[in-house]
Amino acid sequence: MDPQPEPVSYICGDCGMENTLKQGDVIQCRECGYRILYKKRTRRIVQYEAR
Amino acid sequence: MEGSSYQRFPKVKIRELRDDYAKFELRDTDASMANALRRVMIAEVPTIAIDLVEIEVNSSVLNDEFIAHRLGLIPLTSERAMSMRFSRDCDACDGDGQCEFCSVEFHLRAKCHSDQTLDVTSKDLYSSDHTVVPVDFSDSAAATGEALDTKGIIIVKLRRGQELRLRAIARKGIGKDHAKWSPAATVTFMYEPSIHINEDLMETLTLEEKRTWVESCPTRVFELDTVTHQVMVVDPEAYTYDDEVIKKAEAMGKAGLVDITAREDSFIFTVESTGAIKASQLILNAIDILKQKLDAVRLSDDTVEADDQFGELGAHMRGG
Repeated sequence: MDPQPEPVSYICGDCGMENTLKQGDVIQCRECGYRILYKKRTRRIVQYEAR
Repeated sequence: MEGSSYQRFPKVKIRELRDDYAKFELRDTDASMANALRRVMIAEVPTIAIDLVEIEVNSSVLNDEFIAHRLGLIPLTSERAMSMRFSRDCDACDGDGQCEFCSVEFHLRAKCHSDQTLDVTSKDLYSSDHTVVPVDFSDSAAATGEALDTKGIIIVKLRRGQELRLRAIARKGIGKDHAKWSPAATVTFMYEPSIHINEDLMETLTLEEKRTWVESCPTRVFELDTVTHQVMVVDPEAYTYDDEVIKKAEAMGKAGLVDITAREDSFIFTVESTGAIKASQLILNAIDILKQKLDAVRLSDDTVEADDQFGELGAHMRGG
């Protein structure tokens, strides 16, 4: 694992605002207080078997 | 190796040959040989297919796994497959797509910038090797009168702003490992029927009886001559071994009117290719592979060394 867990960014399900959350943070949008946040797709390359 | 020899010399007669279709007769052999040939054509003749997909960006409606699976199923021209290496047997590389002996790299980059849906097709796949490219079906589409602008096999559709960017690695494989590597769409064989009408018994039938009997056959095997009123066999191969005419003859009280037997040493094959290799090449490759397998049996003297030498084949023979 990474030595320092880097903050992950999420998108608010209501206003679309980008939020960065760290471990232990409350899952809530900073802008509108909406409690459903969506994780963004990784920027890394992902590998699949074509089967 | 004692005992009498069962060696025979099978004959092949080609009836019809197109790039993607072949029809031929196989004579002077038995069902085990015919079925072995059929099974080798389906499951053991190698082709090249996409086996690994590295997705950089995918904002399409289909998920990554779905797209990877669809890419795997695209037929690629595989004339080179017989001389290529399996990536697991290749010692020149680690199968990362950079090796000329065992893999071919593909790139796909597509982004929709307009309000119209963008079709991402097999034509958008860029190959690192011009001998291994997605199969082009535009000739056959033109022959069947389909729209000429239909190009390639659709992988995914993109709306404005959606993007797909990936790298794919195609490898040599066989249908036994995964059906995507099978070069055969269909391979079938039938026993050649030999049909004999009992002429004496047939002459005891009235014209109307003959007509109903001829019409009782679901396929057009028999025909009634309009002049001589004789029943003739016009197309024995149309017979599907359905026994309908035999049952009809029995129902009419004329059992033995026709005698139909399957010739156990003659087979009629039909082969359809996916386009990865030509149907003719598919048959030739299958015979080569069948010979190699028989050589392995001949050479293996039940020794552990022989098993090591023919690692995969040896395991296969033992039922592995």
